[in-house]
Amino acid sequence: MVIGVVRTVILYLLIILGIRLMGKRQVGELEPSELVLDLIIADLAAVPMQDFGIPLLAGVLPILTLLCVTMILSVLTMRSVRFRAVLCGRPSVIVKDGKVDQQEMRRNRFTVDELHEELRAQGITDLNTVKYAILETSGRVSVLPKAAEQPVTARQMGLSPQEHGLPVVLINDGRLMDRALKAQGLDRVWLKQRLAEHGVCSPDQVFLLTVDEAGNVCFVAREAV
Amino acid sequence: MRRLWLSLALLVLIFAATVGNSLYLKHLTGTITDLLEKAQDQAMEECWEEADALTHEALRHWQDRELYLYTTLRHADTDEVYTSFREVEGFLHTREPQEYAASNARLIARLELVASMEQFSLQNLL
Repeated sequence: MVIGVVRTVILYLLIILGIRLMGKRQVGELEPSELVLDLIIADLAAVPMQDFGIPLLAGVLPILTLLCVTMILSVLTMRSVRFRAVLCGRPSVIVKDGKVDQQEMRRNRFTVDELHEELRAQGITDLNTVKYAILETSGRVSVLPKAAEQPVTARQMGLSPQEHGLPVVLINDGRLMDRALKAQGLDRVWLKQRLAEHGVCSPDQVFLLTVDEAGNVCFVAREAV
Repeated sequence: MRRLWLSLALLVLIFAATVGNSLYLKHLTGTITDLLEKAQDQAMEECWEEADALTHEALRHWQDRELYLYTTLRHADTDEVYTSFREVEGFLHTREPQEYAASNARLIARLELVASMEQFSLQNLL
């Protein structure tokens, strides 16, 4: 089994290196090390599950080894920017001031079609309106439009709209969330009043009830099954 | 930082346990093959009772660690060693020196292969 442990480390590092060399667009939304972990763990777990002739330890030990190596790498990436750059890569600016950096695109094996697809997905059809397009280490493209192309904000218009804050679920499919109710500084009396306003008397009759920081209530009655 | 040390410690522990396992397996198979070789020497001198006792002792060594062996080795390898033991016992009872010698040699080779499969060597690594 010592061979299995050493092989696991070697294969893990080798696949990370392989994925890094393949370029960001192969990675999708995962970091290279996360993708490798997912791929190998799925396979390692499957083999002892399917083949009863293989001891369970032969699957468990490599998975434990992988998790240890991943934890070590993640701590090292948090502590060292340089190590993080080696393991996960750096973001690449592929469009700057509406101009495509062709060399950077070639380096990342990112095609014009893929760039246009990403821009369209973010509602941009004209490359000249893009200030920056950045290919992130996760494989996604962040697009920042030029200032003149950005939507106007309330502050720019001199307005000061009310902050609603995060809505909190108080009743979820007929179940009362007591902890959430208390966390909001509310009680059952308040809840009863809100329910009465909507013509119901029990949480069982509510599908969804949320309240935000401003006290706005969203109510959805439960449909009869 | 605690996570880093814990992970490193667990990794070292796993590595040490697997190295320990390979050393123990080498020791176990070494003891059993020694007994089987002694049994073969006895059989060559027509001392079949002694050969039989030594083979039984070797089998007992293997059987006493059944759970450990099934937990750490491929089950097919463990089963093959059992089958070989049964074959050797059969030839011991029929007192057939040539057949017994061949069967015993096969069992010894099988045990050596089981141990070598777990050894930390470049050959196994590649």
